[in-house]
Amino acid sequence: MSSITVQPDSPSVRDALSRIRNFCIIAHVDHGKSTLADRLLELTGTVSKRDMQEQLLDSMELEREKGVTIKASAVRMIYQAKDGNQYELNLIDTPGHVDFAYEVSRALNACEGALLVVDASQGIEAQTLANLYLALEAGLHIIPVINKIDLPHARPDEVAQEIGNLLGDDPQHMLRISAKEGIGIEAVLERIIQEVPSPKGDSEAPLQALIFDSHYDSYKGVIAYVRIMNGVVGLKTKLRMAATGAITEPVEIGVFTPRMTPTGHLSAGEVGYIATGLKSVRECRVGDTMLDAARPAEPLKGYKPAKPMVFASIFPTHAEDYPLLRDALEKLQLNDASLTFEPENSSALGFGFRVGFLGLFHMEIVQERLEREYNLDVVITAPSVEYEAVLTNGEVIKVDRPADMPDPSRLREMREPWMKIEIFTPAEYIGPIMELVTKRRGISESMEYLDAHRVVLKYAMPLAELIVDFYDRLKSISKGYASLDYQFDSYRPGDLVKLDILINGDPLDSMAMITHRDEAQRRGAVLCKKIKDAIPRQLFEVPIQAAIGGKIIARETKPALRKDVLAKCYGGDVTRKRKLLEKQKEGKKRMKMFGTVEIPQEAFMAMLRLED
Amino acid sequence: MNTGVYLHIPFCSARCTYCDFNTYVGLEALFAPYVRALLAEIAQYDGFPAQTLFFGGGTPSLLSPEQIGALIEAARSAFQLPPEAEITLECNPGTVNLGYLRALRACGVNRLSFGAQSAIPAELSLLGRDHNWHTVVQAVQNAREAGFEHVNLDLIFGLPHQSLCDWEHTLHAVLRLEPDHLSLYALTLEPGTPLHQQVRRGQLPSPDPDLTADMYEMAEALLGEAGFEHYEISNWCRPGKACQHNLIYWRNEPYVGLGAGAHGFDLRRRYWRVRHPAEYVARVERGQTTEAGDEPISEPLARGETMMLGLRLLQEGVSQDRFRARFGAPIEAFFAAELAEGTRRGLIEVTEQCVRLTPRGRFVSNQVMQWFIPDVAAVA
Repeated sequence: MSSITVQPDSPSVRDALSRIRNFCIIAHVDHGKSTLADRLLELTGTVSKRDMQEQLLDSMELEREKGVTIKASAVRMIYQAKDGNQYELNLIDTPGHVDFAYEVSRALNACEGALLVVDASQGIEAQTLANLYLALEAGLHIIPVINKIDLPHARPDEVAQEIGNLLGDDPQHMLRISAKEGIGIEAVLERIIQEVPSPKGDSEAPLQALIFDSHYDSYKGVIAYVRIMNGVVGLKTKLRMAATGAITEPVEIGVFTPRMTPTGHLSAGEVGYIATGLKSVRECRVGDTMLDAARPAEPLKGYKPAKPMVFASIFPTHAEDYPLLRDALEKLQLNDASLTFEPENSSALGFGFRVGFLGLFHMEIVQERLEREYNLDVVITAPSVEYEAVLTNGEVIKVDRPADMPDPSRLREMREPWMKIEIFTPAEYIGPIMELVTKRRGISESMEYLDAHRVVLKYAMPLAELIVDFYDRLKSISKGYASLDYQFDSYRPGDLVKLDILINGDPLDSMAMITHRDEAQRRGAVLCKKIKDAIPRQLFEVPIQAAIGGKIIARETKPALRKDVLAKCYGGDVTRKRKLLEKQKEGKKRMKMFGTVEIPQEAFMAMLRLED
Repeated sequence: MNTGVYLHIPFCSARCTYCDFNTYVGLEALFAPYVRALLAEIAQYDGFPAQTLFFGGGTPSLLSPEQIGALIEAARSAFQLPPEAEITLECNPGTVNLGYLRALRACGVNRLSFGAQSAIPAELSLLGRDHNWHTVVQAVQNAREAGFEHVNLDLIFGLPHQSLCDWEHTLHAVLRLEPDHLSLYALTLEPGTPLHQQVRRGQLPSPDPDLTADMYEMAEALLGEAGFEHYEISNWCRPGKACQHNLIYWRNEPYVGLGAGAHGFDLRRRYWRVRHPAEYVARVERGQTTEAGDEPISEPLARGETMMLGLRLLQEGVSQDRFRARFGAPIEAFFAAELAEGTRRGLIEVTEQCVRLTPRGRFVSNQVMQWFIPDVAAVA
């Protein structure tokens, strides 16, 4: 694989820049982003068809299964264009999920153009639009690509019109392709060459390298994915991370072809990687700027550390796996700066961790990776958001678990995070969606028709309502057609209370929750019922109560165990009877004493796993 | 300390839907060789004293009086059974007539146990019993006429669809027969039985444990009023009519088990014999051992089993004297924590004479008994 990268300071730098195109692909899940990327790699000879592992860019097994991209990556392709010149095309992949909106915005900043891939039968979806706006904000040139035109339900003209309405582009001019069938791929490459601006940047200026992604490598440390905005970086350049202050010297510098291929240097306008030798992605954060420690420039604008929005506790199903869980979380964190965790101890579930996630999707991915890659059996408590408690003395504290909620006597006000949400849906589902959102305390802000059939609904809604299977419900009431995007809006005051669950009068910490007062009764009743079904009968009647403060708002009663006897023992088979009792006794050992109530671990798991 | 002899007769004319005992249908051709094998095995115990003999099954009443007579004679001689020794035979009420019962009585059987199960036709058919209630009435009358002074009836309760009212009906019907002894078992759905399958598939409702407990309490009340002593968790008797053979089990005393799948205990180990009657016969004929396995019983295990079994005796309980005599120290010395916990929870009662279940502990006895069983790890 040849490279047209030229030596820094060579007279042909300007010329070299004109032969570079940095672009990304914006698409909704399943609209064909990965397939298109594969075709581009094939057509440019970057990867031979034979070597093509399906959806090569999505390197994690999990990504392939979920059909979404979790971590961005960047591949360099060399393309012999029809104008006779050879171009370096850098395809920067972006995460496809709203939880990673910040990562998306950083990746977009590394590009000059974006392919907007839209399914010819589906039209634009909420997430696509959100990313499109981010791309426009980042000043990217947008090339609409209507994909899957080969499908029987394709309506490319309508979709082109829809995009035209959004972007003001001429629908006739839009590319119509089938990535799967390989139709129109070359036209996409030509369009990129013609329309995406070549990168600007000054190789003479002090170094500014935007970190738009990273991964951890046990030999080379953190590998930062960078776009060199200005300056050059070589193996001798002493690097400083602007935000974290970490200082290091590159271990390796290169480009993805798509394998990591060392080049020894990168200069303004180029995209590639720098192996930093740093031991944690927390020292080398996405969005931060790498500077030349000897000649530091101003950091690039727009850096903000990723902030967890959703919190849940993770416990190992088997207590002895606690150290393994800690190791696994530490390893995940090496690659995932947005993952936060701290030890937690629950009277019911033992030792575990309170973990912060960017969103529900992020949480799901972490759970699956723990289970699949680390072979751990874990249980996750109901997710919670981070509340703000305003104390009577004016102090504001963050509360992400019910146990930390201050006593009402010290509390002036509770605030909760509200989100702006956008729902794209065929018009026939407007009614049920409005009903769903209203039930979740959503406030309608606007409704716009994209075309005759499709509508964008905008709401403000508490995040806490969003994280309790809102997305699943939305999908279910819209037969899968509605799509959702959300972003943080503000903290707003709310009538929030701590809902305690008492078993035989003792609070069960892992089931406590912070909830809106209007919802407390319903949720309390549901929880009590759930617990009643999950716990075994005791030798006495056990009340299960939901309470706010001292006030009981819901109750169930688990009746006492009345029958537990051995059957007739035939022919003097005492051994069998004894073994039955031994088994029963073994089972009891795995139970936790809750006051005087014995609850097996499995019952706790069952309570937590059941959906509301 | 007494010793019992248990003879297992693993044959039935039909399989009951709830039964997972070691029994076989259609092996009539094996009756004679099986009896010969039993006789041969009994002979090996020559000079081994025992006090009770129990024919269990299966359906021992499928054997002829001559076969039973031969077995009793051999057992009397080998085990030196005392003349007044309790000799029980389990009967299917449908397979016995007056002549048969007279012949049994004549050859030395002095206690009969009938599998009556229920007085409700629908319940009998659910259980796969081939008799009707009239057969039971007739069988008990015949037993009396044949001279039996010890007649037990087995009943099963807690059946799918059974109401408290149905159960009351059965209890009254049974009391009218004036039995000497009653065994009342709560139905246990054993995996592999047709009844278990039907419940699992939802073709029958799962028995309600609360209703079953109500039935148990009803039986305690009704039988108590009728003058029965509730002497064991599942057993009631008229004064002086307790089953001597079963008392040996509950006192954790030794017993010889003979026949296919029979279990025996000699205080130091428990053993069991090959389950299939054909295999049993073949082994005896070849002069091989019929034991299929055994388990040594350590002192801690013996103490645990003594508690587990003795707690079944509701009046006698685990006798302090017997325990001390056997293990060299009082119960308290080994089970102080368990006794304290059980007393605190009102599940057991500790007296100078014994440790026993309280009325509250009776129908949840597993919860108590398991405390006394050593941990599996500790034994292994």
